[in-house]
Amino acid sequence: MKKFLLDYGIKVRIPIILFAAAASFALTYYITYAERTGIGYQPEQPIAFSHKLHAGDMQIDCQYCHVGVEKSRVASVPALNVCMGCHSLARVDKPEIQKLTQYYNENKPLPWKRVHRVPDFAYFNHSVHVNKNISCQSCHGEVQNMDTVANNKFKSIGQVNSFTMGACLDCHRTAHEKFPTLPNLNKGPENCSACHR
Amino acid sequence: MDKNTENVNENEMSMGRKPSNMQDNMSEKDEFAKTVKETEDKTYWRSFRELYKDPAFNAELKNEFGKESATTPDLAKLSTVSRRKFLALLSASAAVAATGCNSYQDRGVIVPYNQKPEEITLGLPNYYASTCTGCTSVCGILVKTREGRPIKVDGNPDHPVNKGKICTKGQASIMNLYNPERLKEPMFNKGQTAWNEANKNIVASLGSAAASGKEIAIVTHRILSPTLKKIIDEFKVVYPTTKIYSYEVFSDSARRSAWQKSYGKRNMPALQLDKAKIILALESDFLGNDSNQLEYTRLFMQNRDVINGNEFNRLYAVEGAVTITGMNADYRLRLKSDAVEEFVMCLLNEFVNKKKLSGFAADGKVNQVFASNNIDQFAAKYNLDAKAIKNLIEDLAKNQGSAIVMAGDKLPESTHIAVNLLNDVLGSNKLYSQDADNIELMPLSTPAEMESLTENMSVGKVAAVIHFDTNPVYNLSPEFGYAAALAKVPVSVTLTEMVSETSELSNYVLPVNSQYESWGDFKTRTGFYSLQQPIIAPLFNTRQKEAVLLNWKDTKEYNENLYKDYLTENWEKNVYASMGAAVPFKKFWNSVLHDGVALFNEKPEAAGTAFNADAFAGSARMKPSNDFAILLQNNNGVGDGRFASNGWLQELPNAVTKIVWDNYAAISVHSASELGVNSNDMVDISIGGRKQSFPAYIQPGLADKVIEISLGYGRTAAGVVGTGVGVNANVLIAKSPALTERLYNNAQVTRGSGTYELISTQEHFPIDSDPLLKDIQFRRGIIRQGTYDEYKKNPKFLKHESHLNMEPINTPPVYDREGFTGYKWGMSVDLNKCTGCAACITACNVENNIPIVGKDQVKDNREMMWLRIDRYYYGTPDAPAANFQPMLCQHCDYAPCENVCPVAATTHSDDGLNSMAYNRCVGTRYCSNNCPYKVRRFNYFDWRDRFHDGVQYAEPLDLMANPEVTVRSRGVMEKCTFCLQRIMKERQDAIQENRGVIGSNVKTACQEACPAYAIEFGNYMDKESEIAKYREHPLGYGVLEEIKVLPNVTYIAKLRNVNEPMHKTEEH
Repeated sequence: MKKFLLDYGIKVRIPIILFAAAASFALTYYITYAERTGIGYQPEQPIAFSHKLHAGDMQIDCQYCHVGVEKSRVASVPALNVCMGCHSLARVDKPEIQKLTQYYNENKPLPWKRVHRVPDFAYFNHSVHVNKNISCQSCHGEVQNMDTVANNKFKSIGQVNSFTMGACLDCHRTAHEKFPTLPNLNKGPENCSACHR
Repeated sequence: MDKNTENVNENEMSMGRKPSNMQDNMSEKDEFAKTVKETEDKTYWRSFRELYKDPAFNAELKNEFGKESATTPDLAKLSTVSRRKFLALLSASAAVAATGCNSYQDRGVIVPYNQKPEEITLGLPNYYASTCTGCTSVCGILVKTREGRPIKVDGNPDHPVNKGKICTKGQASIMNLYNPERLKEPMFNKGQTAWNEANKNIVASLGSAAASGKEIAIVTHRILSPTLKKIIDEFKVVYPTTKIYSYEVFSDSARRSAWQKSYGKRNMPALQLDKAKIILALESDFLGNDSNQLEYTRLFMQNRDVINGNEFNRLYAVEGAVTITGMNADYRLRLKSDAVEEFVMCLLNEFVNKKKLSGFAADGKVNQVFASNNIDQFAAKYNLDAKAIKNLIEDLAKNQGSAIVMAGDKLPESTHIAVNLLNDVLGSNKLYSQDADNIELMPLSTPAEMESLTENMSVGKVAAVIHFDTNPVYNLSPEFGYAAALAKVPVSVTLTEMVSETSELSNYVLPVNSQYESWGDFKTRTGFYSLQQPIIAPLFNTRQKEAVLLNWKDTKEYNENLYKDYLTENWEKNVYASMGAAVPFKKFWNSVLHDGVALFNEKPEAAGTAFNADAFAGSARMKPSNDFAILLQNNNGVGDGRFASNGWLQELPNAVTKIVWDNYAAISVHSASELGVNSNDMVDISIGGRKQSFPAYIQPGLADKVIEISLGYGRTAAGVVGTGVGVNANVLIAKSPALTERLYNNAQVTRGSGTYELISTQEHFPIDSDPLLKDIQFRRGIIRQGTYDEYKKNPKFLKHESHLNMEPINTPPVYDREGFTGYKWGMSVDLNKCTGCAACITACNVENNIPIVGKDQVKDNREMMWLRIDRYYYGTPDAPAANFQPMLCQHCDYAPCENVCPVAATTHSDDGLNSMAYNRCVGTRYCSNNCPYKVRRFNYFDWRDRFHDGVQYAEPLDLMANPEVTVRSRGVMEKCTFCLQRIMKERQDAIQENRGVIGSNVKTACQEACPAYAIEFGNYMDKESEIAKYREHPLGYGVLEEIKVLPNVTYIAKLRNVNEPMHKTEEH
């Protein structure tokens, strides 16, 4: 009797349990993949800034505000004095601009919600990619078309692509297929020290 | 062997004797003969235990991490939180975190500048020129800042003296700025007060003191700033009873006053050491810790360069101590320090009376002083090598006009006068520069002046004393009774960055700006001023010390530009006007601030008179005694004690002994056995009633009856890092010493009671571990050396050094592999130039965020420095020579570490780097086990958290970290990356400028810091580059080449400029 129970356990229960566990893991892994990598993450920002309005409709160049992107490792979020370069005159009657002006005048830190993030141990470099003529949109998506108003909450920019190491390497390995318009582009480096130091 | 005998052995070994149980079947004579025979082989050894083949040491060689690494932690010292409680806390905190978080995707915030300063681009460094005020050299510095925070310091290349280099202390001084224990608020009688309140009361006290005719004493270090001098002069007008007292623990006062007596002027001309072919250093550490180290190292090494092809100079060192200079000398003679003057007399007799080299031969008044000194008798008496003496005399006689005798800072005035005469006789005056004088704005106070100060203080004649960033309670001789006298002064004020022994006894403690927050101008030599500008706004409620004086003088409303405005005005009215510059002042001022130096045409004051024979004939002589001589030394770590709270410097191994976190009484082998002391035994030292006990350390090469001790240790109030480290040697200083403050020859030394454990890194990370190779391992060419003559005859003479199979292996090298980038990084280290000064180690620590681990962990071989300097002695314990070898990751083409990593955390890059991905590392330590060079470091703990309860995590020390380098956590392996962040910066620049990577644009931190230019780095596929020249140089070799890991660090073999060839016959 006891032996039979053991056999049943080995032959039936354990495989079922293992299968159920593996299946639920795989399913969860698959379903939550996008969310875990942050794809679709679009947090609410302290000021209702619209990339669509600035970069899309008015066709302001990305680098007008993100000045570091060609020179430095970081693209940099523009300082408030860059915003105020226009908005000390433009649209000063709008409530969102008044919020901005208040931050600026009171010298208060403006806490933009961070959207894209690679871990601290990965040293991504904007300038080497941009100087190879890889467009901002290749990684960040159609930023010039982004703005969402949901539940009266304004979300200016969201994440479109995965920023995992796999995604980086995928592009580094197949640079020619990914960027057919850039014939002089070399393959990206694949060694650890390219990003980790 | 049972445990007791083992211990006995260790102790005896460390005394420099063979252990008793090894002598069983040998008479003492046989044993000595055997020892001598063994040591006559060109065998390198790092300690006595190794020289005498201690079986325990052999066992340690086999075991990489040392026996302490496997110890179980002391449970009592660990946290008392139980597992159950821990889990409860964990779940509670998880619950709190879960409720407090509105989105698990939350990635924090990005806070941009409100007003971004125009010069800042996020992610790119800015550089500012300033001046380091860590010692009296006041070197020009170039400070690298990121987003406004200073993160790295190097020398200012435009500065005429230090030309782009700074010492260990300057490199590490960045930690003083961010030290969490800096004073943050003004204090009155240990309670917090406000600046205005303190100023009001102090000004009232100063006013009444001046009115009642009582003295106001300002105790300062050497005044080096013309503008500060002006402020003090004006201060004296407002408060007429003010007197200035200045002191330095390490000064060249004896040399200066000797110069004054010899030549009638106090400003000494600069020395053109690069033109000297023969250099005789008498108790002088001009390459190490004597004044002007950086300039002398640079000039000296210009003639030790195998690439530029200059004829090598020759360095003779005659010394009692064991200094960096002595260890780098071609000929080193061991002589008790107080006999140096007699040695000079012998040389004088040789050149004046016998060789008649100078007009003084006819001057009876002069030549009768040394007529009875005979060099041969002297050599016999002190057991000096007659051959070396003969060489020396011949060389000096042959190279008149291009030989120089340099006497150390510690030697008394009479010796310096005799050396001046000797240089005069040898025509060495030609080496003194006609264009530049080392100038002195204000002489230091004499011992008599300091004594009158303390007397006046104790009888109540001094109403107020102002310590102007000084620590006299700790620094001054105890015979002054300064602390007791200070208690009698009604108002005592200490302006200081950190708590100190003096601030503890003061009424008012006023926090001042660090050198990175200060303005200033400094003048040490004719022809230029060095400018200081703040790199960062004051981190705390501190003020510039000069501004505080100004504020008391003028009693105006304080503002932070007070001193800046004063300085600018002084420059506009006085300096600018006198320079006759063609540009308007504002432009001129901005440009000199930008450059960090203001160069202008200034002739030194007229040359002095001819050598004053009366000064020589009339001075009292230093007579050798039969007692112990004590040398109180400067060091490459804490200096006079003002860097005691800097953990990087405390943990920096001493250049010669490699001891960390301590000072000690270094004693010779014979003197130790006469006293019956071992290393780590306490010895009691008494000089004329002043007593102190030190742990002994038996130092090979030290003269008998000489003890050297570092000053700057034994601080009782220096924060958690510096307090109680080492023993205070200042208490041995006499208030009016017979010789100098730092040299005594009337000491009584006896064995004390107890022992104290000194920790030295010299046996750490031994390179070889195979017992079968034990006998040949030091002949494996880890160090290769020969003589300069041999090199000139056959530059390739060392190529055949290795007898092992040197055939290349068949696997393709990195540059033949797929994906090779076309450039390949390599480093060269020229052992001819490396002095062992350790500036590279500190620079690496700062650049790469290296944590401090503490003395107990260094004991367990767990120091984290990526770069170490191996010191190999060879020869006999009495007269060893040393080779210094910087050892770092060799970035082997076939790196043994890579093959054994189970998670591929360490791999090879396409440009030849052995890279380390910390986030992959799981801490198996296999790589370190398999590394032939023992250069990998493991984070046994989160060191920043563990050391002194996390002082390295305290604010604002986190601002110090280099943002381009990961701060490593517990459980990961790390090692030298060849400054990967700088390589990646060059790659970024190359892509931006649409060009190829230029190897010579990358300068590693160690290379940038090296004052001797011994390190070169770059892409050696570029055959035009410097690195390629070194890599293909006939003297170039790789350490452990025969194991064929193809290291990418090339060492240039050491050439000694001696007459006797080192390679008589083919060895092996």
